[in-house]
Amino acid sequence: MQGIPSIQLRGVDKDYRRDEFTIPVLVGLDLTVPEGEFLALMGPSGSGKTTLLNLIAGLDRATSGEVLVHGQDLGLLSESEITRWRADNVGFIFQTYNLIPVLTAFENVELPLLLTKLSKRTRRQNVATALKIVGLEGREHHYPRQLSGGQEQRVAIARAIVTDPYLLVADEPTGDLDRGTATEILELLEQLNREFQKTIVMVTHDPLAAERASRILHLDKGRLVDDILQGARVSAASAS
Amino acid sequence: MIPLKYNVRNLRVRWKTTLMTVLGTGLVVWSSCILFGLVEGLEHSLKVSGDPLDLIILRKGSSSETTGGFITATADEILNLSGIARDASGQALAAKELLNIPIATRTDGSTTNIIIRGVQPASRGLRPDFKIVAGRDFELGKGECIVSRSLSRRFRGAEIGGLLYFGEKEQYRVVGLFTAGGSAAESEVWCDLKDLEHNTGRDGSVSCVQLRAASSPDYNRLQQTLNDDPRFKLAAIPESVYFESQSRSSLFLKAAGTMIAILLTLGAMFSAANTMFAAVSARTREIGTMRAIGFSQFDILISFMGESLILCLMGGALGLLATIPLNALTYETSNLSNFASVSVSFRFGPLVAGVAIAMTLAMGLFGGMFPALRAVRLDVISALREL
Repeated sequence: MQGIPSIQLRGVDKDYRRDEFTIPVLVGLDLTVPEGEFLALMGPSGSGKTTLLNLIAGLDRATSGEVLVHGQDLGLLSESEITRWRADNVGFIFQTYNLIPVLTAFENVELPLLLTKLSKRTRRQNVATALKIVGLEGREHHYPRQLSGGQEQRVAIARAIVTDPYLLVADEPTGDLDRGTATEILELLEQLNREFQKTIVMVTHDPLAAERASRILHLDKGRLVDDILQGARVSAASAS
Repeated sequence: MIPLKYNVRNLRVRWKTTLMTVLGTGLVVWSSCILFGLVEGLEHSLKVSGDPLDLIILRKGSSSETTGGFITATADEILNLSGIARDASGQALAAKELLNIPIATRTDGSTTNIIIRGVQPASRGLRPDFKIVAGRDFELGKGECIVSRSLSRRFRGAEIGGLLYFGEKEQYRVVGLFTAGGSAAESEVWCDLKDLEHNTGRDGSVSCVQLRAASSPDYNRLQQTLNDDPRFKLAAIPESVYFESQSRSSLFLKAAGTMIAILLTLGAMFSAANTMFAAVSARTREIGTMRAIGFSQFDILISFMGESLILCLMGGALGLLATIPLNALTYETSNLSNFASVSVSFRFGPLVAGVAIAMTLAMGLFGGMFPALRAVRLDVISALREL
């Protein structure tokens, strides 16, 4: 599966405006991510890694340049179209899990399926499958407050994969977890990448987490400064 | 669509705020229901008519029974006109009636005017659902009276066996209590016409004649004869029209009530909006998460508007439920044309239900609109960063 372009960024700039000041966050970024790749984005705070993740996930828009995901130019989509596109194509995993506290694990996982036309029965089956993949059978009726941090993140991962999206984006998925639990979550992400061929883009500060990825990109001041491909170091220029 | 249980459970989780808002909106709906229930009761009492063929005959130019008197001889001529309906026993459904409005003492010792109506046997058949509900009817010429049930509770001597005393010359022994379908008669004391004439020294005059025409053509003919024939020089007014003109006194109450209800509703809207603004603030990250995973701005709008509506519907339902014990509520007001005491019973009718529903919807929708719009306009990325 690897080798086909999944994500392509061409000359992407992203600026933020603060009062009369324009702050460049990403500068002339070119990037190609093959389908089925597990990509880790690293860099110091303010380097633009989360902004890059948001652009790829369709949560934010580039100031200039093109962001193509699975052949779709995200800049051409209207607000409602890009919302729909996210629902169909992207699974989100957040550092703080972002589960809805008043919904059970089952209901949290079912949430994205409510945007589909699947029958209740199919939804149930899909939720059960997702919870099984993340190893949380039997916890369907637990509320987030009744789960450990690691279990909450597993529910969040189940929610991210339940619609079988093309792309998983994870923003510091192990940032709130202890080392042991973090390892379990990373193993789960590896499994999703390996067994289900999910393209994963993960932002992390943790070098141990990044090592699980098949490729690590380092950003600094909005530019790609390093590209490490499964042990082989590639120059920043060849990443584009 | 975001599932409704998300909203319901959120309301349950922050139950203290929910309870406060529900109680607040419930209180607003309840107080407005009381006001409009009493307005409706007043209007109902003045609108209830025995039959569309009923006519009330007054002196030409007078606007009410208290100023509409004319001589008994003319009244007797009216009773002998053809075209008057007859009851099952063959008796004409037409009656001379005489009103006196003395000062009576309430059970608390205060005083007010009260209507004593001297009636003839046919008067009963001319009122809707006239019923003796306790004791018996009065006997003619014996100085007895019957009192409406609601009045009997509020006036000294108005209970069965009591003596309604209006001075040496005018007193009546109460022998029974009656109801009359919530009509204006339920604010009156009824006695024999002859007794009232004798006690008040008003032999030879009546306040009005009430009658029922046998048919629609008879109704038109009687009305024309009484209005146009120079013998009579009277005004034959359809009973419904007469009571409608009397019900104008409720307009002030209705206008004041509407104003108060609008102000209360506005207050409750702010309360609901405050609760919902707090809800949106507390759930910013949840909103961001739902927007990220694909719920549209419209889904968010509907969800928060729905939550506000649920909140206010609970309040509205509570307010309506709290009106149930009020069905026994009766209050006393004055008829602005004769200053006599009028008993008004709380009445849960379309006006009250309409007011309650309108207030609830207004509070829920307008109270929820601005917080919901705020939720819709949240920037997804900023919302996701909220702690």
